[in-house]
Formats: sequence, structure tokens, C-alpha cells
Amino acid sequence: MEIVSHPEKCTGCMRCMLACSYTYTKKFSLSAARIKIKLPEYTIEFTNDCNNCGKCVEHCFYGALEVEK
Amino acid sequence: MKLGGFSGKVLFVDLSRRKIWRETLDPKLAAEFIGGFGICAKMACDLANSDVFDPRNPVIIGTGPLVGTNVPAASRLYAFTRLPANGAVGWGGGGGVTFACNLKFAGYDAAVITGRAEKPSIIKIEDDDVEICDAGDLWGLGINRTCEEIWKEYGEGGIIAIGQAGENLVRFSMAFVDRLSTIGRGGIGAVMGSKNLKAVFVRGTGEVEIADRKRYEELCSQLLDAIRSYPYTKEWQELGLLKSLPLVPKDVYLQIRKKRVACVSCPVGDKDVIDVGGEVYSTSALNLLTPVVMGMGDYRKAVKLTAALDDYGLDMFEFYGLLEFARELDRQGKLELDEEVDFTSLNSMLHWARMITFRQGAGNLLARGFAELEMRSGVKAKSVVKGMRAYVTPRGPLVWNLFGTMELGQIVDPRGPHVAAGGSPTYFAKRPVESFRKHLRRMGLDDAKIDEILSDGIRIGKLLCYSHIWFTILASLGICARAQINRFYSAELCAELYSAVTGINVSRKELMMRAKGVWRMLKLANLKTAEDIPPEDWFEDGFRDYVTGKPLSREDVERMIEEYYEEMGLSFGR
Repeated sequence: MEIVSHPEKCTGCMRCMLACSYTYTKKFSLSAARIKIKLPEYTIEFTNDCNNCGKCVEHCFYGALEVEK
Repeated sequence: MKLGGFSGKVLFVDLSRRKIWRETLDPKLAAEFIGGFGICAKMACDLANSDVFDPRNPVIIGTGPLVGTNVPAASRLYAFTRLPANGAVGWGGGGGVTFACNLKFAGYDAAVITGRAEKPSIIKIEDDDVEICDAGDLWGLGINRTCEEIWKEYGEGGIIAIGQAGENLVRFSMAFVDRLSTIGRGGIGAVMGSKNLKAVFVRGTGEVEIADRKRYEELCSQLLDAIRSYPYTKEWQELGLLKSLPLVPKDVYLQIRKKRVACVSCPVGDKDVIDVGGEVYSTSALNLLTPVVMGMGDYRKAVKLTAALDDYGLDMFEFYGLLEFARELDRQGKLELDEEVDFTSLNSMLHWARMITFRQGAGNLLARGFAELEMRSGVKAKSVVKGMRAYVTPRGPLVWNLFGTMELGQIVDPRGPHVAAGGSPTYFAKRPVESFRKHLRRMGLDDAKIDEILSDGIRIGKLLCYSHIWFTILASLGICARAQINRFYSAELCAELYSAVTGINVSRKELMMRAKGVWRMLKLANLKTAEDIPPEDWFEDGFRDYVTGKPLSREDVERMIEEYYEEMGLSFGR
């Protein structure tokens, strides 16, 4: 399972980052997220710690993230 | 006791003395005034006791306890100050884009800025590291360039910035968040300008904790399901407010729109990156409404105009209202304009935007706002309430002739004619009674009160009281109050979310009472500055009753105002 990103659909809402940090630290933060939305370029990157759990996909409202099985 | 949701600190910056310090947020204050909007309102009522351009007049920027969590559309920030437009202790609310959550992650629920810097400055906040930096290179730039330069220099983070209108103390200048979201109306931009404060930058690497995670996760899961299953969510995402107001044909809009942009955690982002003939603008398509309604038929020109006004930091409604008044005075021979005001011409509008922003010729007078223009000419402007142009009127800038809560709200709002706090189903024409019942239940009213409000048509005054309470709840938590968002929330759910996030357990009724207390406090703080007087021209073939469509009389509106204050528990000896 791999996460595929579609930056053109990303609105920069950063819900994915919030969901990711909460999943792994039980607290919300931007710095602890394993997915990084770079603004104002709207690029989407994953850190080496990302284990493709898919939480970010689950929380994206805009279809900018997708699980490829 | 450490509260969840709150960072627990307030940042103070005195620009005159270049002093920076932090104070602990009193948990009792947090509980009594809910958070965000409510706490900032309390601080503003306590601290904003000076003239508007006195260095002691604070700019208080804060955000609610849900901001920084992933509660959908919990992104709002509020900036309080004594407003140049009318001297009221008031506020501008803005979509927080990335500023509000970064402020929280940096460790602050609010920042209180006082004093006047010796030279143009920017406040840079990176967690505990807070500096007053030189902004000499940025002074004189528009908001777009300012933000781009700051991001280039400081990297990612949230920005509140002013344009040239704020620098030149135009009394209806706004500040912008991340160059996209407005903090207006009333002239907050000019207060920042008077402090030599070009911008505030913030980046936070901290965390937001949740007091009761199990309860929080259950509530958010239900909320997420509701948003995902709502049949119009996709359409709102695709078209935003153009869904209701098709100012530009859908195919044209989709062609010029390069990207949708959302505030943090928002499911229906309403900002756009638009490309018109190779020129790229960051704006909201909704902003095209006023230029189009006022006569600029070509959307490409309307985009250019709104982008220019945004870049200067001018309040578009006040800009149009003042020019309309100035043109009338010119025709009457009471004001001499050096160039014609032509609402259909981009060049004419750009000329006047420059004249006002840089305070040249007659633009210098217009930059002082309605009060000054009325005093100089001896003529009363139409549709002006508390020194500002009401913008939902039968004749524009937003044309609408049914009198609902937003319209009445323009009179009784303590800061002047704003509509954001007065939302209800009267926003739409001819809504069935059942939709009001549903909405009122969400706002937390019981059946007896709902029956009372819906007896004898719709008791707009009573209804508005609860709109203001509902707005105060959402704003204090940090949730966007727009109809497309607040439809997913209820007072009950807000009380549950607030309790789960903060650990301060409140019931729906307690939350409503606290919100009412906040609104009453703001009204009482403004008794001397702002009278609730409906403009005379609203009764000259103007507004009509929402239910019957019959013309409204002044007496009808005064009765609504009385009912509004009765419901608020304020009598004023009426």
C-alpha cells in the first residue's frame, strides 16, 4: 500500500498534518507530522518516518491524497 | 490546572518600549469568556480606553481553543481594537488560513500589541523567540509583495499584513491574513499603520492537547461523517459561494481558477488562485460581487480591481459607498472631484483607489471616511450606520430588500454595520418555517422559545439575539460561522466539543449564557460611541418585511430593536 499525492487538488488546509501528528503523538502539531504540506507552493512530501498508515488520506477533504493498493 | 485546547499564555508586545513579555491565561477568564473571540473581547473592553491612533490603543489578535485541532473549519482568528471608523471597541474576524493555528502552536492564545515603533517594524514570533524586526524594506509595498518577501526571508508561517492604505491611516483599511483573508471592516489596518507595524509573522512548533481524547474522537468521527455524507459538500468545494451567487459563468470560473485554497482544516475552502490573461491573483471569487453589481460587467476587470483593492488593503464596501456619496456631492456642487467617478470603468476605479490609498487630492478627504465627508458637506450620506456604510441594502453594494437578521444586525451590532454575526435562514429569501425551526434548534433554543420567535411571522429582533449568541459561541471556539460550515454544528455539539477539548465541562445552556454575556459586554462598552439609528433612506421604497413583503416603516424596525434588547436582557430605559 502506498500513498499517492495530487498536489493540484491540495488546498493547503493541513488537516492531513494535524491528523498525522495526533495519530502518533496524541497531540496536534504541524512539526510532528510525517506528511508536510509546503506553502505557498502546495507541494506534498512525506518524511522517512511515514509508514503509509493512511490516516492523512482518511482526513483529506479534497482528494489530494489517495491510497494505491 | 492545564486546560486542553488553550496554550495558556498571552503574548504582550509594547512597540514603543520594545518590550516583550508573556502572561499566563487565567483559567477562570477562559471559562467565563469561553475563549478566542470572548477572551479577546474581554481584554479589549479592559484595555482599549484610548483614542484610536493613540499608541496605547491595543491590537489584540487571538484564536479559540479548538484552533490547532482537526475540528473541521476551526481556523478563525479575531483582531480587536478601538476602530477608526467610529471609535467603537470592535473587531475584525478573519479566516485564520495558517496564522491562527501557528499562533497557538507557538504557545499563545492571543497577542496584545501596544505602543508605536520608531520605524516600520514587523513582529516575528517563533515559539518563545519573539522579536521586533525592521520592516523598512517592506513599507510602501502592497500586501501580496509584503507576504512574498516575508515568506522568502522567514520561511513558512502565518502572516497578518497591511498594505499602503493601512500605512497611510485610511480609516477603512484592512489587514489581511496570508494575503487571502480579510480582517475588516472598521480600519484595523490603519491602527496597525499608526503603530508602524507592517506585519506580524508567526511560526509555531508546539502542540495542542486534548483533555478527553475518547470523547473528542467520537464527536469528530460523527462530524466527519456528516460532512462527507452531505450531498452538496462537493459542489461547495468546487464552486464555493459562487454556487449561490453565480457572478461568473461556471465554465469561465473553472477555466480561470487555478487552485482552491482553504483555511486550516476547512472542508469548503473559499479562496482562489485565479489566472486572468497570464496574471495570477490570490483572492476569493466572491469578491467579484460588488464590482459586478455596481456596474463592472467584465469579470476580468472586476478581478483586477478587487486584486488592487486587496493589495492596498482597502475595504471594498466602504470604497464603493464613499465614492457613490462623493459623486452625489460633486453633482450637488458640495465637493469638487478632480476626475469623474465611473463604476463601469476599471481605470476610473483604479484611479480612485490610488487617490484614497495615497491620500491625494479629494482622495485625502475620502480616506477619512463618512463622518468627515458628512461634516464637511453638511449632507447626510445614505445607508450609513455608526460611521460606516451598511452594505446589505435595497440599493447596494449588496442588493437585497428583505429585512432579516443580517439587515437588523447592521444597526445593533456594537461595532457598526457588519453582517457576519447576524446570520440566520433569512439570508435566503422565502425560507419555509420548518427551516427556521431546524436552525433555531441547532442554535440551542427550546421549543417554547422557537414558537415565540415564529409567532406572528418571524420576530426578527428576538431571532437576531440568538444569531449573535450563536456567532459568539462559534467565534469563541474558533469555528467559522459561515452558513456552509455552521450547518454541521449545533450549540449542543459545540458544548460537547468545548468540554472534550478543554476539560471545562459546560452544558449547552451554560455556553449560551456565557456567549450572551460576551455580547452584552461589547454592547455596554460601546454605549457612548455608537447609536442604533436606522438610516432614513431605508424606508423610502426600501426594505420589506421578510415574510409579508410589505414595506417596512421606521416604527417596525424600532420595535424589532426593542425586542432584540429585551431578549438580550438590556433595556436602556426604552
